[in-house]
Amino acid sequence: MNLRLFVLVRSVQILITFFIIMTLLFVLFRLAPGDPVAFLTDPQMTEEEVALLSQQFGLDQPLHRQYLLYVWNFIRGEFGISFYYHRPVVEILKDRLPKTALLFTTATILYAFAGITWGKILAWKRGSLLDTSVSLFGLLTHTFFLPWLALILIWIFAYHLGWFPLNAMISPEIWLDPESGWLRKGLDILHHMVLPLAVLFLTHFGGYTLVMRSTMLETLREDYILTARAKGLPEKVIRNRHAAPNAALPVVTSLGLSLAFSINGGAITETIFSWPGLGRELVFSVSNSDYPLAQASFLLIAAFVLVSNLIVDIIYAYLDPRIRY
Amino acid sequence: MSSREGKRTNSSKPRHRAFPRTGIRWLRHLEENWRIYRSNPMGMAGLVLLALFGLMALASFIPPLIDPIYDPMSGVDPIIDTSTGPSWRHWLGTDFMGRDIFSQLLTGARVAFMIGISAAFMAVAIGTLVGMTAGYFGRTVDTLLMRLADIIMVLPGLLVILILSSVVGRLSIWNLVIIIALFKWAGVSRVIRAQTLSLSVRPYIEAARVAGASHARILFRHILPNVLPLSFLYMTFGVTSAILIEAALSFLGFGDPSTVSWGMMLQWVWKTGHMFKAPYWLIPPGVCISLITLSFYLVGRALDEVLNPRLRKEVLEQ
Amino acid sequence: MSLLEVDSLTVHYLTAKGKVHALEEVSFDLKKGEALGLVGESGCGKTTVAMAIMKLLAPNARVLSGKILLRGEDLLRKGEEEMRKVRWKEVSMVFQSAMNALNPVHRVGDQIVEAILAHDGSFSEEEAQKRVSELFALVGLDPNRMRDYPHQYSGGMRQRAIIAMALACEPSLVIADEPTTALDVVVQDQILGEMKRLQMDLHLSLLYISHDISIIARACDRMGVMYAGQLVELGPTQKVLEAPLHPYTRGLLNSYPSLRGPKKRLRPIPGEPPNLWEPPEGCRFHPRCPRASEICRSSCPPVVSLENGHFARCHRPRS
Ligand SMILES: Nc1ncnc2c1ncn2[C@@H]1O[C@H](COP(=O)(O)OP(=O)(O)OP(=O)(O)O)[C@@H](O)[C@H]1O
Ligand SMILES: [Mg+2]
Repeated sequence: MNLRLFVLVRSVQILITFFIIMTLLFVLFRLAPGDPVAFLTDPQMTEEEVALLSQQFGLDQPLHRQYLLYVWNFIRGEFGISFYYHRPVVEILKDRLPKTALLFTTATILYAFAGITWGKILAWKRGSLLDTSVSLFGLLTHTFFLPWLALILIWIFAYHLGWFPLNAMISPEIWLDPESGWLRKGLDILHHMVLPLAVLFLTHFGGYTLVMRSTMLETLREDYILTARAKGLPEKVIRNRHAAPNAALPVVTSLGLSLAFSINGGAITETIFSWPGLGRELVFSVSNSDYPLAQASFLLIAAFVLVSNLIVDIIYAYLDPRIRY
Repeated sequence: MSSREGKRTNSSKPRHRAFPRTGIRWLRHLEENWRIYRSNPMGMAGLVLLALFGLMALASFIPPLIDPIYDPMSGVDPIIDTSTGPSWRHWLGTDFMGRDIFSQLLTGARVAFMIGISAAFMAVAIGTLVGMTAGYFGRTVDTLLMRLADIIMVLPGLLVILILSSVVGRLSIWNLVIIIALFKWAGVSRVIRAQTLSLSVRPYIEAARVAGASHARILFRHILPNVLPLSFLYMTFGVTSAILIEAALSFLGFGDPSTVSWGMMLQWVWKTGHMFKAPYWLIPPGVCISLITLSFYLVGRALDEVLNPRLRKEVLEQ
Repeated sequence: MSLLEVDSLTVHYLTAKGKVHALEEVSFDLKKGEALGLVGESGCGKTTVAMAIMKLLAPNARVLSGKILLRGEDLLRKGEEEMRKVRWKEVSMVFQSAMNALNPVHRVGDQIVEAILAHDGSFSEEEAQKRVSELFALVGLDPNRMRDYPHQYSGGMRQRAIIAMALACEPSLVIADEPTTALDVVVQDQILGEMKRLQMDLHLSLLYISHDISIIARACDRMGVMYAGQLVELGPTQKVLEAPLHPYTRGLLNSYPSLRGPKKRLRPIPGEPPNLWEPPEGCRFHPRCPRASEICRSSCPPVVSLENGHFARCHRPRS
């Protein structure tokens, strides 16, 4: 199978999956006890507003028409009005998505690379003091309860030491100052991002390190490693060129499989650090009974996970010629 | 029998077979498996930790008996109306309402075990049934069930539960357990399916089929006993994730308000603004959640080694 | 002087069950341009010999005594860095499990280029590529398929690629450990012919390891027979086949379909090869030997030579 066909097939699968998730969500909201109008309309809305929304979402029509309208509304990006912000949901999400993408993608890249690199090194030096101590460290941080770790890090590094801001993504005084250039603004975001990144990094790094370590140990027993040794290649080349790429394949697979799980942690992290992303918006909208926003942000997160999955698949295919060709 | 003799007889025959052919032979290997397990210090550490948590859970019944002010939920110390640090009266201090943190911590252990074990048990039961069915019948049944499992696995479970609770309102602890189970069976079913696939081509299954055994009989008499060890292994992993989901949900403020769990305790510290003031309150629940996760993880890894001899270290390698 | 001289090599493996006496006092030599075969049942220590020469024994192996002289220099005394220069440049190897001997994530051509570049600084990348395409042609592979990945090759093609790889640095010695076992008979035949031709053309020394005596008979000038970690007979192929000295060799020949000449009844050797944790006292073959006597049970036989260049480790060799 060539790469293009592979990507095509996976994309179609992912679209179908997304469609199913969308349908389930529709069923959940329309078949839930209570008036579906209540899920779309805010008690504070005026009569006309309610009527307009009911018509827009076809609440006066039979269920199958409602479903078609729901899909159609989704396709043209019409998610209704947020009860809480009194603004179109789509506007809010447009603002939140890049922020989640920034935090989550950076964290994922960081911990995946660190995990693969450390796992590689530890397997190579198995049994050494370095191996024992880093493995133990990884094991411990891996099992830390994420919200708790976040609170502890805030307590130590933001509250006591004052090295990092307590929360939010930007400092208003910097962003409102017309003098600050993009560098200053960028550094400001980075400064705010350190702690949330640290939380996501620490809770994930250990798992990937341990997986990579054990697949690497297995790979080192393969015949082609013996061939590489027999060829008289330097140890570094054997480790980095021959063993690591093969050992990393299962790690990439597990990266894809655990994205859905990691985004849970991402949402909690956003909430604790008031990082204005999708996850925090979802948590907020659920506590505020802001149904349109909750539904839409959930769908967007699901889409985000699915697309990330697709990207991981493409990376995998790129790394493993047995899929590419 | 001296221990040395025991070791010799043990080493002269094949030490252990991961998935014995028929019946529940693995039960008979129990003693031997225990010996393998015991030789893993990390696994033993996990077991000891778990035992400690078990003791905590049992001890959680004691404080309210001593004095009603020690009741984790309703026991408010009349002479205290704010969070106080550790003292003789309250070993770990009190929360913002003057309730005893130590008592809450003990109850948290009980709740964690209850949620973890019941959710994991249900998840593993469903996963095992689905996996066996998919693997044994194959074809359309297999495709449908596994697609379903795939979809569930790409869903962020915690966020789905959030959405659910936004529709149906607050989830009671038992509803939560059921929902967690509905999310966690998928992973198990994949593993059990693979195992069933490899089992169902074994000659004795063929033989049973030829002898006219019914599907149910083959599934439950021949396949089930052989996948059970694997199910058991996945149960240890499932317990952790159930505990973590409940804790995270409670932490975010969507837990069952009538239950004290460690996640709930953290939510109280956080939401009442005590996290910078009351380390005696912030630290214990987090340490407990982390440690119970660690101990189940260690136990799971050690069990994995017992079940997959391939993972065991060559004794004298290096 | 011989190119390679293995002198009373003894290797044990340490395992949880105890010591595996994998090689006991194995000695042989290999001249320039010569093909020497090693034959023996599975588990008799053939691969261990090969790996000891490459110094790639498993981590639990212990070389207790012996010398491995390559052009008079003892490989066992060389450090890892020195040994790295010997590997492939001087001694290359075709592995037993050819199916997995190529790295699945790299192009076949690149895996050979890499070996060339690692050992010869005078090659540029392009020159190395060119050399690889010559090698491909030499072993009967289409040079256009250099850029393919191993999974796109058939088993026979992979084996040819590995042979091309083994020749890449123009080594003086190639060790071939069961190079054709995993292949079907026709391909096996082709590859064997190819190897023989290359050995003659390039004037290579070849250490050919197989459990199949008929392959050794066709490919090698001299042959050694191994039994339970010992080299029990060594001599010119013709002599060993026609007038074996050791009872085990005779048993081995009897248990094979006749190579040439009239059909004989096959007579497998009675009994099982010993386990190497507790090899039998005395001659390791004595429990299965039809001619065993008291002395065979008690003392390890010396290596005796009845004719020039034909040796056996036996108390009562057939004269
Ligand atoms: N790493 C190891 N640890 C322990 N024992 C080993 C190890 N490698 C080989 N052995 C044992 O040493 C003996 C010789 O093994 P070797 O691989 O050299 O045999 P062989 O002649 O190549 O067999 P085959 O024809 O099956 O490849 C065997 O009994 C084997 O079980
Ligand atoms: Mg071998």
